[in-house]
Amino acid sequence: MTQEPANAIDAKAIAFLARLDNAPQTEIVRAELETWLAEDPRHRGAFLRAEAAFAHLDRLAILPVELSRPAFVSRRGLLIAGAGASALAASAVGLALWLPTRNLIATPIGEIRRVPLNDGSVVAVNTNSELGVDLKDNLRQLTLDKGEVWFDVAKDGKRPFVVAAGQVRVMAVGTAFSVRRRDDGADVLVTEGVVAAWANGDVLNKVLVEAGSKVFVSDIAGPSRVTAAAHQIDRTLAWRNGQIALDGMSLGAAAAEFNRYNTRQLTIDPALADKRLVGWFHTNEPETFAKAAAATLGVALTENQDEIHLAP
Amino acid sequence: MADRRELVVWVGKNILPHEAEVRAWLRRASVAAHEIDDIVQESYARLIALDDVAHILNPRAYFFQTARSILYQQARRARIVRIDTVAELDALNILDEGPNPEEAVSSFRELERFKSMIDALPEKCRRVFILRKIEGVPQREIARRLGITENTVEAHVARGLRLLLKAWAEPVPNQPVNRTKSHDARTRKRD
Repeated sequence: MTQEPANAIDAKAIAFLARLDNAPQTEIVRAELETWLAEDPRHRGAFLRAEAAFAHLDRLAILPVELSRPAFVSRRGLLIAGAGASALAASAVGLALWLPTRNLIATPIGEIRRVPLNDGSVVAVNTNSELGVDLKDNLRQLTLDKGEVWFDVAKDGKRPFVVAAGQVRVMAVGTAFSVRRRDDGADVLVTEGVVAAWANGDVLNKVLVEAGSKVFVSDIAGPSRVTAAAHQIDRTLAWRNGQIALDGMSLGAAAAEFNRYNTRQLTIDPALADKRLVGWFHTNEPETFAKAAAATLGVALTENQDEIHLAP
Repeated sequence: MADRRELVVWVGKNILPHEAEVRAWLRRASVAAHEIDDIVQESYARLIALDDVAHILNPRAYFFQTARSILYQQARRARIVRIDTVAELDALNILDEGPNPEEAVSSFRELERFKSMIDALPEKCRRVFILRKIEGVPQREIARRLGITENTVEAHVARGLRLLLKAWAEPVPNQPVNRTKSHDARTRKRD
């Protein structure tokens, strides 16, 4: 259905008003106007607005025309609190931690850490994750025990950079990529350069994944098809800035995503789980998300200390 | 339905002065321009449907609430919902502010603004408008004095009102609508 544009309606309403202002008693004009107004509530809205403006301008005649400079009306304090949002960001940036050759980086729920390694690489470790780091002279070996990490790898041709996630292996030279551990394998997403990914013991069946693509590697079956993901990368890696990007994600999946970062869990009535959403949120603000979802979808929100529930 | 004349005066005094703010608010929440026009128009349409406006103690908040509820309704009809729009509107927290008619409808400020808006009209249009609205001369008499047809006068009145409404819907220059830096800090950054 094509809608009559708002500005066309406004123009028509104003034209009617100017005509009435000239000939208020004309039956024909009145009748025409009434017909037009009856057609659409938006016509009535536009006419009211025009009439109100025109009537209000009569104040020009009432008030003295010559004015002294008006007293300055100071703006009221309209600041709203934006605290809290920066807490996560603060924890994510500038954490300089000089690691010895063998170390474990672990994050609790809700924490995201960006850690420089002593080979010049940087890792961003997402919520509820564990990463073992072992930098040898001939090999940089990282072990993702659980969770998700994004790697920005310093170039060093003599020391391959290999990530092990369960049975999945990912090797990079100088590149940036993320690995997210799943129950039965891992997602590999490449932001720069090229990585090789394979299932342990099956290096012949490795796949090369270029910047802007991703692949799921099964622990048992090895890599699936590499797919283009350039448009998803920013969103998928939004967590590095403490954010969640919903891109047509279902309400159920969005709740699961928030639940990775917060002990206070979002639960969704099954009747609503398939509603699709678009938006950006802070990982540590499930309340904001829940309130927005409830208001937008017109559903009920109930909450207690441990849980926020959405139901029709 | 409320007495028509009363409603018109009430809307001019209590609703229109906040329109620029409502539009700016919707714009900040990334609502598309044509949707903003629709939402504003629909807000006025809803006012007409009211039996009475006497119960509206805070017209500014009422306007914002109406615009918001229309936005939600549209969002619900859409297949995929743009949810951060709502979060951003709420983050602006505008509805919690108490009534403050003095500021918004400050007569001097408003009058000053009308004057500069009228000064900015095209010359012929401006002359006609001043005669009609400031001096209260009827259209027919304006036509006679300026030696132009009544149709032309009518066209100038319409054009003048259209341009004034457009200017009115713009944010007031010395009353910045970009009221919170923290808002920017809260909302998405995708670097």
